[in-house]
Amino acid sequence: MSAFRLILKSLLYYWKTNFAVLLGVVAGAAVIGGALVVGDSVRESLRQLTLKRLGDVDYALESPRFFREELADEIETGSQSELIIAPALSLSSALQYEEESTKQTHRANQVGLWGVEQEFWSMIAPEEIPAPVDREIILSRQTADTLQAKLGDEISLFVELPATIPRGSLLGERDEVSQELVFSVSQILDGRTTADRFQLNPSQKLTFNAYVSLEELQVALDLAASRPSPDYPQGRPARVNSLLVKSDTRNDGDLQKSESDSSSLNQHLKDSLNFDDLQLKLRMIEDKSYVTLESRQMILDQSAESAAKQAAKELDCTTSPVLVYLANEFLNQNKPENYSLYSVIAGLDRSSLDSPPFGPPPLKSGAWPAEMGDHQIVLNSWLANDLQISPGEMIDVRWHVVGSHGELPEVEHEFEVMGIVDLSGPMDDLGLTPQLKGITDVDTYDEWDQPFDMDLNRLTQRDEDYWEGTNETKAYRATPKAFVSLKTAQKLWNSRYGDLTSYRFAPQTDELSLEEFGQRVTAEVLKAYEPQNAGLAFRPVKASGLQAAQGTTDFSALFISFSFFLILSAMILIGLLFRLGIEQRLFELGILHSVGWTDSMVKRHIVVESLIVILLGTGVGAYAAVLYADAMIYALTTRWVGAIGTSELALSLRPLSLIIGSAISIIVALGAVIWSLRQFKGLSYRAMLSGTQTEVARNASSSSSKYWAIGTGFLASLLLVLTVLGVVPDVEAFAGLSVKAVMFFVVGMLGLSCSLLSMSAWISRDEELSVQGTGETALARLSIRNASRNRSRTVLTTGLISSATFVIAAVAAGQKDPAAEGPDLYSGNGGFRLVAESSQPILPNLNTEAGRKEALEFLNQPELEDSEEMKQLLDRTEIVPFRRKPGEDASCLNPYQTTLPTVLGATSLMRERGGFTFSGVSAEKPWLLLDQEIPNDDEGLPVYPVFGDLNTLQYSLHKAIGDRIPVPNQENPRAWLEIVGTYTGSIFQGVLVASEENFLALYPDEEGYSWFLIGGPKESIDEFTSSDAEKVEDYLETGLNQYGFDVNRVQNRLDAFLTVQNTYLKTFQTLGGLGLLLGTVGLGTVMLRNVMERGGELSLLRAVGFRNRQVGRLVLLENAFLLTWGLLSGATAALLSMLPHLLSVGADVPWQSLFTLLLGVFLVGMVSSLVAVIQAIRTPVLSNLRGD
Amino acid sequence: MNTLSVQKLTKTFSTATGDLEILKGIDLEMTSGDSVSVTGPSGCGKSTLLYILGLLDTPTSGTYTLLEESVSGLSQDKQADIRNKEIGFIFQEHHLLPQCTVLENVLIPTIPASLDPAEKKGRAESLLEKVGMSERLNHRPGQLSGGERQRVAVCRALINEPALLLADEPTGSLDPETADGVGDLLLELAGEQQTMLLCVTHSIDLANRFSKRLDLQDGKLVDVSSS
Repeated sequence: MSAFRLILKSLLYYWKTNFAVLLGVVAGAAVIGGALVVGDSVRESLRQLTLKRLGDVDYALESPRFFREELADEIETGSQSELIIAPALSLSSALQYEEESTKQTHRANQVGLWGVEQEFWSMIAPEEIPAPVDREIILSRQTADTLQAKLGDEISLFVELPATIPRGSLLGERDEVSQELVFSVSQILDGRTTADRFQLNPSQKLTFNAYVSLEELQVALDLAASRPSPDYPQGRPARVNSLLVKSDTRNDGDLQKSESDSSSLNQHLKDSLNFDDLQLKLRMIEDKSYVTLESRQMILDQSAESAAKQAAKELDCTTSPVLVYLANEFLNQNKPENYSLYSVIAGLDRSSLDSPPFGPPPLKSGAWPAEMGDHQIVLNSWLANDLQISPGEMIDVRWHVVGSHGELPEVEHEFEVMGIVDLSGPMDDLGLTPQLKGITDVDTYDEWDQPFDMDLNRLTQRDEDYWEGTNETKAYRATPKAFVSLKTAQKLWNSRYGDLTSYRFAPQTDELSLEEFGQRVTAEVLKAYEPQNAGLAFRPVKASGLQAAQGTTDFSALFISFSFFLILSAMILIGLLFRLGIEQRLFELGILHSVGWTDSMVKRHIVVESLIVILLGTGVGAYAAVLYADAMIYALTTRWVGAIGTSELALSLRPLSLIIGSAISIIVALGAVIWSLRQFKGLSYRAMLSGTQTEVARNASSSSSKYWAIGTGFLASLLLVLTVLGVVPDVEAFAGLSVKAVMFFVVGMLGLSCSLLSMSAWISRDEELSVQGTGETALARLSIRNASRNRSRTVLTTGLISSATFVIAAVAAGQKDPAAEGPDLYSGNGGFRLVAESSQPILPNLNTEAGRKEALEFLNQPELEDSEEMKQLLDRTEIVPFRRKPGEDASCLNPYQTTLPTVLGATSLMRERGGFTFSGVSAEKPWLLLDQEIPNDDEGLPVYPVFGDLNTLQYSLHKAIGDRIPVPNQENPRAWLEIVGTYTGSIFQGVLVASEENFLALYPDEEGYSWFLIGGPKESIDEFTSSDAEKVEDYLETGLNQYGFDVNRVQNRLDAFLTVQNTYLKTFQTLGGLGLLLGTVGLGTVMLRNVMERGGELSLLRAVGFRNRQVGRLVLLENAFLLTWGLLSGATAALLSMLPHLLSVGADVPWQSLFTLLLGVFLVGMVSSLVAVIQAIRTPVLSNLRGD
Repeated sequence: MNTLSVQKLTKTFSTATGDLEILKGIDLEMTSGDSVSVTGPSGCGKSTLLYILGLLDTPTSGTYTLLEESVSGLSQDKQADIRNKEIGFIFQEHHLLPQCTVLENVLIPTIPASLDPAEKKGRAESLLEKVGMSERLNHRPGQLSGGERQRVAVCRALINEPALLLADEPTGSLDPETADGVGDLLLELAGEQQTMLLCVTHSIDLANRFSKRLDLQDGKLVDVSSS
């Protein structure tokens, strides 16, 4: 005989108990291991979806600007690796299809329109589907379904026309912003191809895509190659805005390697860039012997300016930065009849005018001070003559400024004339003004092609002579007539696009010809130019996509936390069953002690025996874990599909996860066993030998339970009050959980503990539980007395029931219904009823009649005049526009990890209106926090304040107030977004909100507004009814359809966000329900054991005249007592701890279903004790009394 | 010469109504081969005394020397060691492990002892043969009569050749004839092994068959052998 043999014998002999424990372990191991497998599966599925989304595309460059198509070949040739680089056009468009038979129009907005050629197409589409040619269009399944289009149907595409000069600048094109193109459907994808879901940002969803021929799209958008012209002496090359790269090396998600590869690609890109790609040009000013760097966009952006300055340093040449602006009018203050119209005014750095060729200025009178103030000006002699003015006199100058909605109000500025320069030499220099098609290249004012009205009737002959020339004078055209300091110019005509219109370079020696010098300037500028600052950079889209597939949330941890009560129930059940088994063989422990086994030997004996059961259970549990995970995956793709938003999840097994899951299960189950064993600590050998547990039950004093109950109750109440009063901050505590959410668990747990400790103390107070009276009351008292027979067992069982009830009640109480929330300024909807997005940005102000007319006129739909009723309705409608820089979807609808979400620029209209609910912000007017200035970081990078939704920040970005987000990425940040406030439950989920001013500083190229909130003004929110919203929605969607204007109900959007939350609640509820099921099994087991233990007592009751029915009732009453206590304490603790939520607007507790559920649980619990009742009645009276 | 010496041993229990002194100064001396019976009314503390002597309970005061070693203050492990090597226990209920056979039950006390397995088995078989159970080595306790179970329990108590054999109402649950048989067996085996035998019993017949009979009266032992 050996100890091990004894263990084996015991295992087999007590197989029923051990088997029950084993089942408990199987349940625990299945849930824990299953949760890990679910996590693995979600990650692997997201990974597979990423590979499917990107096809063969490993790296991508998507630029807001257009560059030469040949760049693809040049980089490909320059690269050492075997790369395929495909050029493409990527645009956002609105698609429209009108059914011929019904004349019904179907629209799809924000469709990703790709101009593709074969190379790119073969990266994302199967071989059998040919790339689109001519006017063919291939639709993704999602797009086709939305449009209800079939093969051969004609589809209208509305795309934004590329603008050479930014629309937000003075001379930007505003008349023709959109182009309608008609294509014929040649292919509808089946929903399974890469082309169906191709997009560069991580997303699990099928996307709205449409593919047309690259060449065709280039022609349609005037991006195709053209013949040589004065502006393009070599001819204009065909242009694209995207490059997609297929790498020869297998991209397995090694982000570090991919980043290094993309750095190499970016170097090749830099080496291949020329001025055409950067919208730059270098003009030779032969007569003045200098070259000037200009931008085709009119203004040199920061990157070009920096590069120019750097080049100047390298070349050691004479330079002169210039900023010119168009003045509408110069007027002599004292002689208003003396004026001049439409002339150029230049801002020059006086110090650059000291030497040829830029100076010295031929001063006729007065002076040109080295430091000129903001109200000081120098005029050329022509203008001075026109104005009949002398130094020291005052003039007014008027010019247009550009409003945020593209409007061009005129402003006036007063200047003192400091000096007058002769219109000769360096001041007779047309090179100061950049060439601008339609203005500088036309012969007369009549031919100007400008975006504002000109009062040509007021033009003087002198003005025309200056422009057109006379027999005596040359045509000076756009040669500046007046000069201010560069500093003043930059202050008066500041622009988000840049500070200079040109940068002049002059060689210091004549060793080089001007052409050769120009070539050197070009080379140095290109060398110094940082393409990534202008958005020209390759990204390792596949590697970063695979990285993002790690998910916003650790689904393993999520499912373990969801299954917390199920695991807890399993562990309590293990402990309970194990304890029952030990109690059953207590005498055995006594015997072992009496024959000289030490405490540790006995403990080891029991623990090893349990360990074998646990190991066996864990082994089976590992298999069950796979089944459990499979069931979870099935649920996640069907009933709970809202949680991850894709049905393309598949089970993925990693042995390591199963091993880890099993190890955790073993530790947890062993913990339950050891914890149970501790209950026998202090039990005397005599008690063991007598096989009685009475001593165990009485071991702990009832008074200690009482004090613990009071303590936990007090603590729970305190925390609850602090949470209700908002003292507890709503910030992240850990792992994405908010402190409030943690409080929820803490208060709940304390409440539960308090209840169970109270029960323990109450049933232990013998003097108050004396059996007395007659009938049902006495029977009830006797049943409670019975419950106190083994206090810890009773408390454990009740704890099991109450834990599961807690989950179910808490989940039910946590439901939220956005429909219950009407528009309210201080809520998640901010008082708005509608949210809209447009495929193309809209510049005009839709809040004004003029603005709306402008928007409609642009689209040549004058027939959509406002009706009187609609005018009145629109007058009491507020359309709050936001600028938008599209980024990753960081809402809970996207399970991928995101780094930089879409950023919105909130206008002053929004910031002044205010509203929404904030968390963790103490400011009275939180929106003003967006206007605060934050000092630059240590590297000198700007830091801009932003708001984000609490859910987005916590679960997707893992950020909190005070944290910073790099723009555009961590590797090469050029700015930071600092979280200064968080919305709660808002429509802003998935985006960040900055002030419009900061937005434009960050994204100067983003034109117009493409995100809108629509509702009543804040003073009359309630007056804007649901029916009004419906009318406005129809009006705007119809009137602005070519912008791809898509309007949604705010409630629906919030509801969609809540779908994820509600699905998680459902998951939690279901797993809690499984916990409850285990709990009722445990309760049934305990009752059966109680009945078996008390066979003699029950027989005695029957012997003294109790009827079978009464004995059965006694058992049922005890069971009802435990069930009721468990259900009430679980439900009360849950509702109390959810009080903060219950008091909030929109809380939607399904009281009826909750009550029905708890009643159902009670009934199921009672039914589960029927086996015990039957056992009680069937026990033979005589043999029990004899003690057989 | 094995000895047992108890002096001024007391045991007090705390109850809701106050302290209850059960043993009020027990003095007891035993040497090898002594057989002592202890009688007394129910609840007088007989079993308490037995459990204290068997190191399964601790006295409130007094000294207890076994084999010339003071055992009261020893660590639990040391006490377990003494219980294993020097003390054998027989209870009113046989307390055989239902999962083990007769032979295995007898071998249970040998598990902590570092003995040769073959030797252990031989000893167990020899003991069981002596008590007439050699035909039932592989039977389970459930297949045995009450007397047979108690005989197995006696063998289990003697397997490690203890110096002290303690029996708590060993015949309490047996019919008179079987009880006689078990009594004989106890005395015979204890005599053979020169074991100190102390038996708590209600049976005056059994008690009188021991070399000394003590009666526990008001918490003290009174020698009633001569009466």
